[in-house]
Amino acid sequence: MAVCIAVIAKENYPLYIRSVPTQNKLKFHYTVHTSLDVVEEKVSTVGKSLGDQRELYLGLLYPTEDYKVYGYVTNSKVKFVIVVDSSNTSLRDNEIRSMFRKLHNSFTDVMCNPFHNPGDPIQSKAFDGIVSGMMVQTG
Amino acid sequence: MAQCVQFVEEFVQDSFVPMVAVLCSEEAERATRKNNLNFTELLRPFCRLTSEGHIRDPNNQLQVVKNLRICVNNVMTNPNTASAALSPAQRRLLNEVVLSCQPQEGAVTNVITAGDYNLNFNATTPWFKAYRENFLQTMPASDHEFLNHYLACLLVVSSTEAVPVEQFLKLSQEQHRIQHSGEYTNPKWFIPNTLKYYVLLHDMSEGDEQRADVLYEDMKQRYGAQGCYLLKINSRASSTAEDEQIPDPWSQYLHRNNLQNQVSTVASSTCDGVSNSLESHPLQLDEGKSTAGGAGSHGVCLTLNDHDHIRQFIQEFTFRGLLPHIEKNIRQLNDQLVSRKGLSRSLFTATKKWFGGGKGPEKSVHEPKSTCGLLYPPEAPELQIRKMADLCFLVQHYELAYSCYHTAKKDFLSDQAMLYAAGALEMAAVSAFLHAGAARSYPAHYMDTAIQTYRDVCKNMVLAERCTLLSAEILKSQGKYSEAATLLIKMTSEDSDLRSALLLEQAAHCFINMRNPMVRKFAFHMILAGHRFSKAGQRRHALRCYCQAMQVYKERGWALAEDHINFTIGRQSFTLRQPENAVLAFKQILTNDSRQMATQQAAFLREYLYVYKSVMGEKEASLPMLPLPCIHSSATRVYFGHERRLAEGEKQAATHVSLDQDYDQDLAAMWCHLEEQLVASANRGTVPVNFQQTQCCLNSQTDNLRHPLAVVEEPMIVELTFRNPLKVSLALSNLSLLWRFTPDAASPSKEKMPEEFMGETITNEETLARLRLLPHRTGQLNIVGVVYNLAEASSGETAPSQQTANLMVVRGKQDLMIQGPRLNQTKEDKMLVRHGPDRRLDPIITPNMPLMEVFFLHFPTALLCGEIRKAYVEFCNVSSVALSGLRVASTHPDFFTFGSQATTPVTPLSPTSAKNCSAYKTLATVNQPGSVAFEVLVSAEDFSQLSTVVEIPIEGNVLEPGESTQLPLWLRGPDQEGVHEINFLFYYESVEKGTKISHRVLRHTVFICASRSLSVQASASRSSVPPHHCQDDKGCSGTLVVIDVENINTSESGVREFHIVQVSSSSQHWQLHKCINPARDKDCKLTSRERAKLCFRAKRCKPHQVTSGGMEKYTFADLNLGHERIVSSSTPCGDFFFHCCRTTESQRADVESSRTSSSSKSQDPSEDKASDLNNIVKKCNELDLNIIVIWKAFVVEDNKQLILEGQLHVALQTIGKEATSLTPKEEAQEMVLLKFKSEQPPPVVVPSAELSQLIKTNLHYPETYTHPFVQNSLCLVPVTLTLSNCSPAHVDIIVDLRHKSTSPESLEVHNSFNWVGQTQYKLQLRPEEVLCLTLQACFIQAGVYNLNTPRVFAKPAEQGTMCETSQQTSSPALIIINNA
Repeated sequence: MAVCIAVIAKENYPLYIRSVPTQNKLKFHYTVHTSLDVVEEKVSTVGKSLGDQRELYLGLLYPTEDYKVYGYVTNSKVKFVIVVDSSNTSLRDNEIRSMFRKLHNSFTDVMCNPFHNPGDPIQSKAFDGIVSGMMVQTG
Repeated sequence: MAQCVQFVEEFVQDSFVPMVAVLCSEEAERATRKNNLNFTELLRPFCRLTSEGHIRDPNNQLQVVKNLRICVNNVMTNPNTASAALSPAQRRLLNEVVLSCQPQEGAVTNVITAGDYNLNFNATTPWFKAYRENFLQTMPASDHEFLNHYLACLLVVSSTEAVPVEQFLKLSQEQHRIQHSGEYTNPKWFIPNTLKYYVLLHDMSEGDEQRADVLYEDMKQRYGAQGCYLLKINSRASSTAEDEQIPDPWSQYLHRNNLQNQVSTVASSTCDGVSNSLESHPLQLDEGKSTAGGAGSHGVCLTLNDHDHIRQFIQEFTFRGLLPHIEKNIRQLNDQLVSRKGLSRSLFTATKKWFGGGKGPEKSVHEPKSTCGLLYPPEAPELQIRKMADLCFLVQHYELAYSCYHTAKKDFLSDQAMLYAAGALEMAAVSAFLHAGAARSYPAHYMDTAIQTYRDVCKNMVLAERCTLLSAEILKSQGKYSEAATLLIKMTSEDSDLRSALLLEQAAHCFINMRNPMVRKFAFHMILAGHRFSKAGQRRHALRCYCQAMQVYKERGWALAEDHINFTIGRQSFTLRQPENAVLAFKQILTNDSRQMATQQAAFLREYLYVYKSVMGEKEASLPMLPLPCIHSSATRVYFGHERRLAEGEKQAATHVSLDQDYDQDLAAMWCHLEEQLVASANRGTVPVNFQQTQCCLNSQTDNLRHPLAVVEEPMIVELTFRNPLKVSLALSNLSLLWRFTPDAASPSKEKMPEEFMGETITNEETLARLRLLPHRTGQLNIVGVVYNLAEASSGETAPSQQTANLMVVRGKQDLMIQGPRLNQTKEDKMLVRHGPDRRLDPIITPNMPLMEVFFLHFPTALLCGEIRKAYVEFCNVSSVALSGLRVASTHPDFFTFGSQATTPVTPLSPTSAKNCSAYKTLATVNQPGSVAFEVLVSAEDFSQLSTVVEIPIEGNVLEPGESTQLPLWLRGPDQEGVHEINFLFYYESVEKGTKISHRVLRHTVFICASRSLSVQASASRSSVPPHHCQDDKGCSGTLVVIDVENINTSESGVREFHIVQVSSSSQHWQLHKCINPARDKDCKLTSRERAKLCFRAKRCKPHQVTSGGMEKYTFADLNLGHERIVSSSTPCGDFFFHCCRTTESQRADVESSRTSSSSKSQDPSEDKASDLNNIVKKCNELDLNIIVIWKAFVVEDNKQLILEGQLHVALQTIGKEATSLTPKEEAQEMVLLKFKSEQPPPVVVPSAELSQLIKTNLHYPETYTHPFVQNSLCLVPVTLTLSNCSPAHVDIIVDLRHKSTSPESLEVHNSFNWVGQTQYKLQLRPEEVLCLTLQACFIQAGVYNLNTPRVFAKPAEQGTMCETSQQTSSPALIIINNA
């Protein structure tokens, strides 16, 4: 269902980007990169009002003609971006939320790996598996 | 563009201005032509009114008209109707406009800092302004609005005309014809009754001024003072033009026009080709080409006065003619509308419906309803409102205009006339915006609706675009950048790339101008814009966009995007003929560790190579740097010297150093140590201060601080490590080194220069390339880089690739810069990052040096432990300089010997004939083997070269150039099994002194596999035979030596059997004397896992031999078991014996020294005494007998029987202690726990075991004794106790015969007999004295008794009693007492 899943470091460089192989990778890179502006905007506005009790899930960042882009920011300012096909209308907000939660859990596992150097691109197989699961779940 | 907020009103206002048409007579045209201008152009700079005008609205309110601009155009009868899209010519024009407007080099750029981004971009976008201006001007007039319909017409006639009035009439009729005949749909006229304004143009330089005045008076009569004007121009002769500097207000207007002109002429001539070819464009000038010529010479005949005249004329026309005309029309329209208002709207519409036709709106015939909805006839009342609104708008009466537009909008909407409605909406929004001070806020949704309607319902992109441009501008002025960007982005579509590109770029600027700049959106839209620009053929703009976007993506980990941008920049730069930039951009792609697919990388590479090649084609001079492949510069290795031949026939060359070997720190240290030893031995034991290890192969781990020394005519090989970061393979060819050479001033100059060697290689992941350099002159060489041809390696086919490869091969270089190790000495070094120099690639070429090669013949690779083999070594001087001082050092000096001159046997020197000869020197013996030993006395000096350095005995010590010499070499298999690495370092120096290189060395490493042969265990014991029984021996020194030999060879197939051929001894004090066992005439043969025991008697050497021969005389005693005697005292047997001794001695010394060093701290008096005592004891037990067991092994190898020979050494140190030829396996050293408490000094232990051997005791008694117990119950037996002192000191002895035992069984035994007579003796024995005591034993019963009960205590004289020690009791001495 997701067509692209990305993890972006605090310093806004990609830690992990994976997209469906059928489509142009470059396009998703651009999409994800551009979405960071919106993420920043949302974080800055939300951050002021709620302080520490910020919700990690940012909701729909912006819709494009073909895709919907959802965002999620961890407390350590690592961003998760999920791009979903616009035609996929069956997807609920709750499902996106749970996807993000799963992603976050798996990401935490990766970070707990003592051999992982924080800041390096993620190369964990387990993480890869989770992501693939989310990409194929419903096609 | 976003910066001009304050001008937005002006911009919007200027987008809609009153249009004035011009009809010009030919004569008038001729007059203006003098200034290189036509009439409209003449007026254009003065079209903006500087003074305020006034107008009265229908309610008679005075309305101020400020800053009004009018637009004067030639009448163009263009057949083109308003269409929904721009004509191709218009498009081309716009394209040209944008193309011609490029940012200047070094133009002012804005720097925006957003977050951690620093962006540089053009603050203004003049190309967009130009585009917008032109776009709005080229808007075709359409029917649904009147804003760009002509309001008035200027009729211009020259005063030189014969009858100007007639001319006026003609022009007037012409105008009427154009407007009303219906022939032309273009131009469109605002009102049927167009204002005609009559202008009499007077050329001051030509015509009669009075006549003109007269004519003007006449005109005033005819047309009224308000309807005509006399314009006087050309007051200056063109010849005087140079004197005065007159501002040229036309240039800024006309420059653009020229361009438009050319474009449209070209366009029309190619496209239209019909009658109206020159009139395809409403803005087009009559005579394009004439103006095109003199760009700088506009208005040469005009003085500043003339300029004022023109300005006055426009003002007069506007205020007297145009504004009243408009006012009048507004009033009229208002009246009409008011009169109509009587009718109810519903009725009005109802009538329309009932009667249809007539006044009612007609259904469009030509266009489908879906696009535009209805079409009104020009006189429709709805349009009258619109017309009035437009008029009001033009004279800046925005309030009225807004209400009219609003009304009109409602009407149109109710009629479903969508196009009209959209137009009204748009203008309503604009007038609401322009109506300053109105309470009404800007109705943005009007605009949105209008745009949507234009685009979706009417499919009129031109209008939609205009609307978008206006709306975006207005939104921006209000700070609503996000909305503006959305609008702009929505307007991008497939139909026009140029428009999309420009709008996207503007949208990008909107993003960056937001309060929180959206940098990434900016970048993304810039990329999109760049893409569209490139599609529109605007390469320069595309490149600019990509470059600006690059700032955001650069070096932030977005590799895929970065590569894409770089690639595009590269391509665009290349097509724009900026190949340097292109090369740079492509370089970026290839240098970065990209995660692109292999195919993508291959594409990048191809493109790069292509671009690079074309750049190279332009300039040949210097080779540029190539980015690929990466050179791992610190891994560069440099090797000095020839490449070694490993083998030549059966000769085996010294391994020396080669590039194929990996560097090993430990090995290097070992070699360095060996070389130090060699140098020390060459310099009489001291290492010179400037000693420097010879380094043949330099790499990152060696010491590269000094310039390496290379020798003339000896090649040096540079090994480069290439790494290919790409997934596609690269082909490198024609590699060569780049170098710089500074010849030595002092050196004899030779003509030749170093030459290069070409290599060829294909890299895939990491590849090494070796390049050879052969210096011919002395001096300083610097290797600075590498030149090569780079091509894409086409895998698979090879032959056809040659063709393509030729196309794609580029030549370039890369510098070799080796950074030295990081310095870490001083504080500054530690705080900064500093690197030391690395001079690997800067060798100094020195004059000729000798060069030696070493070959080995018959050099084995596998040996049995202790095996002796003879090999030959050959030394060759291959240089042109004689060498001397040949030495060798080895890690295993006991492995080989060159033999000693004194004892070298006369063996054939040539190796071939000596093949099957024994390595030993043998003598045939006649007498029975094994009976008595042959004795030879040899001085150790003959053999010993005590250090690890061995001088090689070559004749004359000098090896002349080209000469070679061969020497025999004996090898002995190491005593320990396993693989041994044995290193030789040969040393030699030039016969000439004072060369830069003091000496040279040659390394050789062999691996010897040693397999087990025999294990020899030997022990010595005092013979229990009482001394007086052995006749030969004096004193008590008869000793038995038992040698236990075991075949421990495990390879049963290989080694058949071992024969012990001979046992020899070598000692300073002892010698083997006699063979006791085995049987005399038999060899001792041992097959696998068999064991044999040999027994010999040893004796002390004759004392005169010991004393007379000096210190180090050794006695060799040979006991041969076969028929041949091997002279053990000669080479090689003796050599190896001494080698072996030396190593064991040194080992022992090591152990001792470590022991003493450890115990030296605890010194107390008792220690002294103990050591004193120890000495005595040791002396007593010392044997110091070395046994050499010489064997032969019968080996089957390749169905041939071989006889191998060997020798094993056993050093017997003390009596009673077993010694073995195998060095005991070293116990894994136990980890010593760290102890923080000082250890208690170990208690002094008197070595009782050794002390107990001070005295040898023997009991002599009859073995059986028969005694009639019946007669005499007591049986007395005499027993003699012989005490012999073994030690060289006085010994006090106490003999105690009393039974003193605690064990019950012994008690039982002891009860059975008693010693009688004196039972305790105290004696003193002189050194080596033998004393007999006669004792008496008393038995009361028959039986078997053990007589060995006397306890003998001995202590060296003058020692404390505490060290009295019970002497060793020998085996039980049994006596049988029989009852008679």
